[in-house]
Amino acid sequence: MSLMSTALAPPSGGQTTGQRGRPVSRRRRARLPKALHFLTFAAPGLAAYLLFVLLPIGMSVRTSFTNRSLINNPGQWVGLRNYTRLFSDADFTQALKNTIVITVIITVVANAAGLAIALLLDRRGKVYNAMRAVFFTPVILSGVVVSVIWRAILTDDGLLYSMLRGLGWHHPPGWLSNPDYALYSVAFILTWQILGFCVVVYLAGLQGVPQELMEAAEIDGAGKAARFRNVTWPMLAPALTINTVMLLISGFKVYDQVQVMTNGGPGNGTTSTIAFDVVQTTFTENHIGYGAAMGVVMLVIIAAVSVVALRFLQRREITL
Amino acid sequence: MFRRRFLVAGGVSLALALTGCTAGSGSKPATAGGSAGAKNVTLTFLTFETPNLTAKYWDDTIARISAKVPGVTIKKLVSPTTDRTTYAKQLAASGQLPDIMIAVDPNGFAQAGQLASWSDAQLSDFLFPHSGAIGGKVYQLPYNSQPVPEVYYNKADFAAAGIASTPKTYAEFLADCAKLKAKGINPMVVGGGGSDTWADLYPMTALVGTDVYKQTPDWLFQKTAGKVKFSDPLFQKAAGKLADLAKAGYIDPAGLSRSYADDEQAFRDNKGAMYPMGSWFASSADNKKPSFDIGVFPWPTDDGSPVLPVYTGGGMTVSSKAPDVALAQKWALALMTDKTYLDGSVKTDGSIIAEKDYTPPADMGPVYNATLAIYQEAVKANAVVPAFGSETGDGSLLPGMNTKVAAGVADVIDGKKSAADLGSFLDSEWTKAAQ
Repeated sequence: MSLMSTALAPPSGGQTTGQRGRPVSRRRRARLPKALHFLTFAAPGLAAYLLFVLLPIGMSVRTSFTNRSLINNPGQWVGLRNYTRLFSDADFTQALKNTIVITVIITVVANAAGLAIALLLDRRGKVYNAMRAVFFTPVILSGVVVSVIWRAILTDDGLLYSMLRGLGWHHPPGWLSNPDYALYSVAFILTWQILGFCVVVYLAGLQGVPQELMEAAEIDGAGKAARFRNVTWPMLAPALTINTVMLLISGFKVYDQVQVMTNGGPGNGTTSTIAFDVVQTTFTENHIGYGAAMGVVMLVIIAAVSVVALRFLQRREITL
Repeated sequence: MFRRRFLVAGGVSLALALTGCTAGSGSKPATAGGSAGAKNVTLTFLTFETPNLTAKYWDDTIARISAKVPGVTIKKLVSPTTDRTTYAKQLAASGQLPDIMIAVDPNGFAQAGQLASWSDAQLSDFLFPHSGAIGGKVYQLPYNSQPVPEVYYNKADFAAAGIASTPKTYAEFLADCAKLKAKGINPMVVGGGGSDTWADLYPMTALVGTDVYKQTPDWLFQKTAGKVKFSDPLFQKAAGKLADLAKAGYIDPAGLSRSYADDEQAFRDNKGAMYPMGSWFASSADNKKPSFDIGVFPWPTDDGSPVLPVYTGGGMTVSSKAPDVALAQKWALALMTDKTYLDGSVKTDGSIIAEKDYTPPADMGPVYNATLAIYQEAVKANAVVPAFGSETGDGSLLPGMNTKVAAGVADVIDGKKSAADLGSFLDSEWTKAAQ
């Protein structure tokens, strides 16, 4: 019996008989056109996702098991060799360390500073609205634009350097030229750019805190700190989850700022990140298979960290 | 029925839309892969834009050359950065290698069979027709010679430090650096910041020229064959000189945060007395004269004998998969021998044209003429050696090694690596690059 004939079959006490003799409820019959409807609208999006996300990931995974290069294309199957090589590659481990340092800095600092600024801006008035816009502006700028601006400020002939010298500090540190500072300069700029996003998310969270809860706590004698610790902070748990996961993902994907500001330097890999190393390995050194393996490892790390963070923070939301 | 039609129509529309997303769509005629016949052939041309080589400059050039070679429509592609080789690799990885490319390193593409080689007849107008050959074949037209580097200097700074003439030997050069430093003048401006980390290479290129290639011009061929190492005494002598220059404070590490453009500006802003740079700076110096007079001299050798590192190449390459390879080569060759283009290249980019019977415009400035004179003297004295880090062809660094050499040099300038560290680092990176 075809699906169409089942759908057109006369009702029998609210149920009819489907394929293999199973009853098909009216509700299910009613759902079928809805499912088709859903598919109609979702198909273009699903197709695009399949073509531009899942298919390239699949192709990258396949490439990562080959020694494909510009010269040796499509390359030969080498099994896990690219993956075993990764862990003895000092450049990759350096890039991994740098990525972790950047991610930790932006996750902690942007969260903390974002919350502090949101608390300051959680008031009504034109000035506060304007300040919100000011803090959010860097978020809408491209990473390249932000990097060009900050390079002009942090370079050794730049604005900050000249200003500090003008104030009597004759040899300020080379923010981008000294390997001991360059990575932290990059992390600072990334934090500066993403800070506005955290502020907006925390502001939304703050505005969702029920006023009656705050008033009840105040009546119970809770001071500002106690109200924040026992009411506001627990109510901001969903905002913390969103911010943390977004910051973790952003931190592990950093490429533009490194490319424009330092090109991985000064020196060998002092500011290179995994994403930067993937591009260098694939398109400068021509090792496409090896670069794909780096990309797959990066994907696994981002997915694992995001899932763990999400689980942990969502469990915390429920507990609170 | 309506839903099915709707789905089919949606699917077809999506497929068409996705087909249209490919970068090269519409650029290839129906005759792709074969002879174009009498029909017009569309060819993609990868170029790059700089403040000197503007979009209008390229559009005018394309229009002029296309008028000389009928049957060709050129679709211009512009590299998003000046690193057009990396962009060409990205395009090649997705099967979209442009049909014609300018100043793209042929290494890798040629070995993969992606480029068409030039015949001796096609190369007959060039002074060094086999420059940059790969496996005995030439894939990039060798139209332009570039001394890399010559040392541009601020005449006022030299006078202030009591330096009467330019140094002839390396000992004199060190003495001049010491005099400048004693006067509170930073001896050398060297870049290497932003995305232009390569810009720190020039002192090293000069030192490898004078201390390695002078004795062993085929040193990199030998390195490729595994006969020599960066940690060998010959290369170590050059690396040691670089480390000593940095240690003595003659190279300012502040330059490692300066992009190439910032680096040039720093020299113009009088932040250092000497500026080791490729010959292309000559035109820039003449076209936009700074507040002081600029002189130029070749990087000195120990015994004062002339040595000049020079790169010859930089011209057009043609994809072996172009819709009509012969026509693409004809168009590329027409551009490379076009007097207006060559004059423009000399005026805007300080090119020293390596083509027979070519003479530069009569109104070239003093810095360009002095740069050219040093080159001509070196050619006459048979003192030209390869320019380390700029070579193409068989005797060149492995893909990606340029970046590693620049990174190692930065570490030496910053005091993070000794000459010995640099040697072992480069040997290790070479092994990795060769895998």
